[in-house]
Amino acid sequence: MRKSLTAKAIVPVALTVTGFATVCSLLLFSYTKNHLIKDEIMRELCMASTVVKATRHAMLQDDRETLHYMIKNIGENKGVERIRIFNKKGLIMFSSHQEEISNIIDKSAPGCVECHAQEDPLTALGPMDQARRFKDLSGKHLIAVTTPIYNEPSCFTAACHAHTEDQQVLGILDIAVSEEHLQGALKTLFRQLIGFWVMVVILSVGGLAVLLQRNVLLPIKQLIGFNFAISQGNLEQSPPEGVDEVELLGRSFQNMALKLHQKSKEVEELRNKLDELEKHGTGPKDSDSSANPD
Amino acid sequence: MNDLDRRREMILEKISDLHALSRKGLWGLALFVAISTLAAYFRNFNLMAAVSPEVRDFLGKPPSSEMISIALVVYSFSALILILARMSADKENYRGWAHLGYLSGFYLFYFVSHALQENFWAVFAAGLTILGLEYYNVWSYSVDAIKKEKQLLSQVGKKSPPSIS
Repeated sequence: MRKSLTAKAIVPVALTVTGFATVCSLLLFSYTKNHLIKDEIMRELCMASTVVKATRHAMLQDDRETLHYMIKNIGENKGVERIRIFNKKGLIMFSSHQEEISNIIDKSAPGCVECHAQEDPLTALGPMDQARRFKDLSGKHLIAVTTPIYNEPSCFTAACHAHTEDQQVLGILDIAVSEEHLQGALKTLFRQLIGFWVMVVILSVGGLAVLLQRNVLLPIKQLIGFNFAISQGNLEQSPPEGVDEVELLGRSFQNMALKLHQKSKEVEELRNKLDELEKHGTGPKDSDSSANPD
Repeated sequence: MNDLDRRREMILEKISDLHALSRKGLWGLALFVAISTLAAYFRNFNLMAAVSPEVRDFLGKPPSSEMISIALVVYSFSALILILARMSADKENYRGWAHLGYLSGFYLFYFVSHALQENFWAVFAAGLTILGLEYYNVWSYSVDAIKKEKQLLSQVGKKSPPSIS
C-alpha cells in the first residue's frame, strides 16, 4: 500500500516538474542562443561597415597597395578568418588569403545568392539576411557577412574609376569571423542550464518525497503498527502522535477496540451465568421436572 | 443463474473496456513519436525557399519564434494543470488526441518560422510530458477499476450455486 501511495503521489509530480523544467530550459537556451547569434552578427556588420569607411579614402585615391595592406592587417586579427573585397562582376580584388585574388565568385554561392536569386539583383538586404553561418573546409564554424560598397557622388566624379552615376553597388566586402568564442559561451550556458535543471528537479521531487515520507507515510506506518498491536489484544498502547488526522484515526480505532472488548466480556459473563444456571437445573431446559428430587 | 451469468459477462466486458482505455494512452504516445520523427526529418527543410516569391508574399511574414515559444510554455503549463486537476477529480476520460493536434500545430508553426531545428526538442519534451501524464492518468484509473471489477467478479463467482452432478 505504501508503494502504491508513493507512486501515486510522486510519479505525476515528478513527471510534471521534470517535463516542464526541461521544456523551459530548452526554450530558454534556444532563445538566448538566437540572441547571442544576432548580437554577434550585428557586431560583425558594424565591423564590416567600419572597414568600408576606413578603406574609402584609399579607394578614392586608387591606392591599391594601401588597400591591400589594410585588408591583410585586418585579416591577421584574432578571430577574423577571412576578409575580401570583390567587384560587381564577382572578381576578388583584395583578400587576406592571397591565393584567392583574381578568382571569380559564382553568383549562386552562399553570400551572393541572397541578392542574385532574381533577374534584377537586390541592392539592399536586412541585417540578418546579410549574414550566413557555415563550416569551412577545416570544420571551423564561421559567421560571414556581406556588405555592399555603394556608389557615392565622390566615387563617380573621381578621376580614377570609370563608374557611372547609375551604378548603385560598386563592390562587396565579405568578412568571415570564427564562432569559437560564441560556441564556448553557448557551451557554458548549456552546462549552467543543465546544472540548474538538475537542482530544480532534485529539490522539487526530493522535497516532495521527503515531506510525503515524513507527514504521510511514516504516520500511516505507525498507525498500521498500532492497529496490529490492538488486534493482538494490547489495548493500553497509545495511538501515534504528530499528525492530527492520524492520531484521531488511532483514537477511534482504540475506542472501537475497547468497546468491542467490553462487549465481549459482557457476553462472556452472560454465557457463564447461563451455563451455571443450566448446571444447577434451574435453567429453561429443566423447567418440566422442577419437582423436588426427593 | 441467468442473472449471475449476465452480471459476470457485464463485468468481463467492463474489464475489457478498461484495458482498451489504458491502451489509448500508449497509442497516443506512439502517434506523437511518429509525428515527431516526421518533424525531425524535415526540420532543416526551408519551406520559404521552396515556394515562389508570390506565394511567399501571399502567405505574409511567419510568426516570430519567440512568440511561438511563449505560446508553447503557456500551453504546456495550462495543459499540465488541467491534467492534474482531472487526476485529483478521478476523471477517466482521455484527452490526448486534442493534445496531439496542438503539438503538431507547434511543430508546424516552428517549421514555417524556420526555427524547428532549434526548438524541436522543446516541443518533443512538452509532448512526452503531457501525453505521458495523460497516459499515467488513464492507466492508474484503469488499474484501480480493474481491481474492483475483479473483486466483484470473485464475489459473483462465490454466489453461483454448485453444479448438479
